[in-house]
Amino acid sequence: MDEEKVIVFDPHDCTGCMYCMTACSTYNNGATSLSKSRIHIVRHEGHAITKITDEDDLIFDVITCQQCDQPYCLYLCPALAVERNDDTGALIINHDKCVGCRMCMVGCPFAAILYDLDKKQTVKCELCGGDPQCVRFCASGALQFLPKNLAHLPKRDRLARKMIQLRIRPIEEKPF
Amino acid sequence: MSIPAGYAGNVLIITLDDQKIDILPIDKFWDTYGINPRLWLGGDGLITKILWEDFSNAVEPFSPENEIIIATGPWTATAAPQSGRSMLGCIDPKTGGFGSGSFGWFFPSMLKYAGFDIVIIKGKAKRPIYVFIDDRKVVFKDASHIWGKETGETVRMIREELGERYEGEIRVLSTSVAGEHLVKYSPPCSDGTSCPGRTGAGAVMGSKNLKAIAVRGTGEIPLNDPRGLLDSSYRAVKTFVENEPMIKLWREHGATTSLGTAMDWPISGAMLAENRKEADFPHLKNVGCLDCPNPCYHWLQIKDGKYSGLRHLGGHMTFLTVCLRNLGIQEFGEWIHYERLLQELGLDPASFSMAYSWAVECFERGILTLDDTDGIALKRGDSDLICELARRIAYRQGKLGNLLADGVAEASQKIGKGSESIAPHVKGKEYIQRDVKVQALMWSLGALTSPRGGDWLRHHNVWELAFMPGKRDAYPKFVGKTCAEIYQDSLKLLDMPEELKKKIFGDSGKVDMEWISGTKGKALFSVWTENLVALFNSLVTCMFGSATMFLMVGFGPTTYSDILNKITGWDTTYDELMKIGERVFNLQRLFNYRLKGWDYKNDTFADKRAYEPAQMGIFKGKVVPWNEVLREYYSIRGWSERGLPTMEKLKKLQIEDLAEGLEEKMEGGD
Repeated sequence: MDEEKVIVFDPHDCTGCMYCMTACSTYNNGATSLSKSRIHIVRHEGHAITKITDEDDLIFDVITCQQCDQPYCLYLCPALAVERNDDTGALIINHDKCVGCRMCMVGCPFAAILYDLDKKQTVKCELCGGDPQCVRFCASGALQFLPKNLAHLPKRDRLARKMIQLRIRPIEEKPF
Repeated sequence: MSIPAGYAGNVLIITLDDQKIDILPIDKFWDTYGINPRLWLGGDGLITKILWEDFSNAVEPFSPENEIIIATGPWTATAAPQSGRSMLGCIDPKTGGFGSGSFGWFFPSMLKYAGFDIVIIKGKAKRPIYVFIDDRKVVFKDASHIWGKETGETVRMIREELGERYEGEIRVLSTSVAGEHLVKYSPPCSDGTSCPGRTGAGAVMGSKNLKAIAVRGTGEIPLNDPRGLLDSSYRAVKTFVENEPMIKLWREHGATTSLGTAMDWPISGAMLAENRKEADFPHLKNVGCLDCPNPCYHWLQIKDGKYSGLRHLGGHMTFLTVCLRNLGIQEFGEWIHYERLLQELGLDPASFSMAYSWAVECFERGILTLDDTDGIALKRGDSDLICELARRIAYRQGKLGNLLADGVAEASQKIGKGSESIAPHVKGKEYIQRDVKVQALMWSLGALTSPRGGDWLRHHNVWELAFMPGKRDAYPKFVGKTCAEIYQDSLKLLDMPEELKKKIFGDSGKVDMEWISGTKGKALFSVWTENLVALFNSLVTCMFGSATMFLMVGFGPTTYSDILNKITGWDTTYDELMKIGERVFNLQRLFNYRLKGWDYKNDTFADKRAYEPAQMGIFKGKVVPWNEVLREYYSIRGWSERGLPTMEKLKKLQIEDLAEGLEEKMEGGD
């Protein structure tokens, strides 16, 4: 197996377009929806719901499977339906075995597993067989597909640049 | 007829008088209206056809007979790029003719996920209400406690009342105080973010006692070839992001890009350049609608000054240009506050600023006196005064507020005294240019021929002025090219048949100063652009991604047909799609003729200064040959000298049957 890659998200770059969600549902369900996407953009659109004088904010964050090394979903599944794909390292649900008990949903600390009403089984991100469509369609670069041990890099790079910016200001302006 | 993939499959017809709801399968609806979806697609195409069938005579726009039509298209809410858009149409309160506008954010996609391609709202409610579309379930809710609330609060109250399970689950299209007070240029607003700005439909909603439409959609959109759609979309976005000459700046600075740096607007170029320097904005990030690779919204924060702490999602070009040019607002914080305020009140920035700017001119000339202005000494540049007047207009307070709430066309007719000949409008609708003759020729031509009156968004071709050689080269330097090279690359990439390019730009295939300052090929390029706009407004996708409109290259009909075919399973071609655009545009022209009798006589600027020699710009010292270009334009369109589609043209567009009974009248003289 190659090095295991995971989906990494940096909210700083996210433009909130949700292409990750439409691409996910289109690829995995053959029809576009937001409700059935296995990756979810959580939104707070302060400007849309406040008066002009109120303080508000605009925040996007993402919820999707972290492909845990110690996966609660796998441990809790009574049907032994949660398996790890050796090629991609993704945790996948074997729908021949899944009994729809939703224990994986109970176990998942990130609420990244959905229940599919049509299948009467649970579904989750399976990394699209190694080419996650959410990352493929993320034009802003907020989503990246990186080896687990490098997952911290984009964010660290951004923060480091911010610190450099602070340091190169004139001396009297230095905050620390 | 079966329903092609890509459509949600249903039409919702709401009659407000007796709170009646009809849900029709869309194929039945198409049959009733004689619509073949492959000829009209959706969005503007369907709105045009529905208005055509429903209104053969002029109606009072604020009467219950007027309709509000929200029409998505097969493109909307799929995994195609920029799929978050929808069109909203009605009889325009300002012109009494065809009215429609594009809006986005997440209301359109949510509507489609709820299962509806089209919503038609008829009649008038007895008291203020709002409609909640909860997937297929539609309920009416009392809105008397929300009536009188501004945009943001309306959205919050409705979402709270309906019980969102997570934020953004319910999307709200609402009207604000200006709409309630029937200000004729009040647009509705989608989640306090995106407005079909030039429709006046907010006031139509107000006249119907309809405060808002809320929607929650959890369904999905069927696709013919989902994996193929993903591949085509990916290719399109990748090419777009890598090749579009202006994309580098756009992705940093959104919708102000084409104006601020690349374009040389002669009237106040220096000011814009200066403004950009400081307004390489205090923005936190760019944000977009569904599936957008080049988002246009800025998330802005004012750091100091009077409005310190204000945060706002916007930073749009119309606000910037009208602020600088027509209102004289220079300070960045004031500009952002103005944008947010207009969104909260529900006012169209273009019409409002032109009304204000016209009033200032009238005041300076003594046409308006202190008595007419309720004691206010009108002037440009005072943002407090401007905001105060915006509030007065939105609430129709005082003499001046009431006067300007009807827009410059009506106001100038009311007060007379020569104010008509300085009123900046075409067919009753304001354009955002104080002086059209110093603007690009194609841009101004678009204002003359637009089906919704003096409006530039049906033809905002940037090719004439982007990177005007020898004037401003900051952007070319930024990307390491010369103006000529950028034009050359763009021309190669532009999705247009080679022979058409030759006809427009000449055999040399060069875009140079000679082409830019002349009239050659401009009418033809205008026709092409207008057809393209009608096309993407029917798909429905966004003008900020389309070729020539704001970007130089963008997506063209080849990309549109490739992706549309994957969505629907059709085998459309470049020519077929461009013909759809042409069909829609022609029917809009015909609709306005049947309803209002508009022909060549109405393709004129009310402001007579447009017909004087220009003091600056590409027509410096000359009178712009409007009529010559218009005549050329009519003949390219296959229209008569009266500026009306000929039967031959309509036959080619497969809509000759629609003109039955009009034929004789159209062919007659004046």
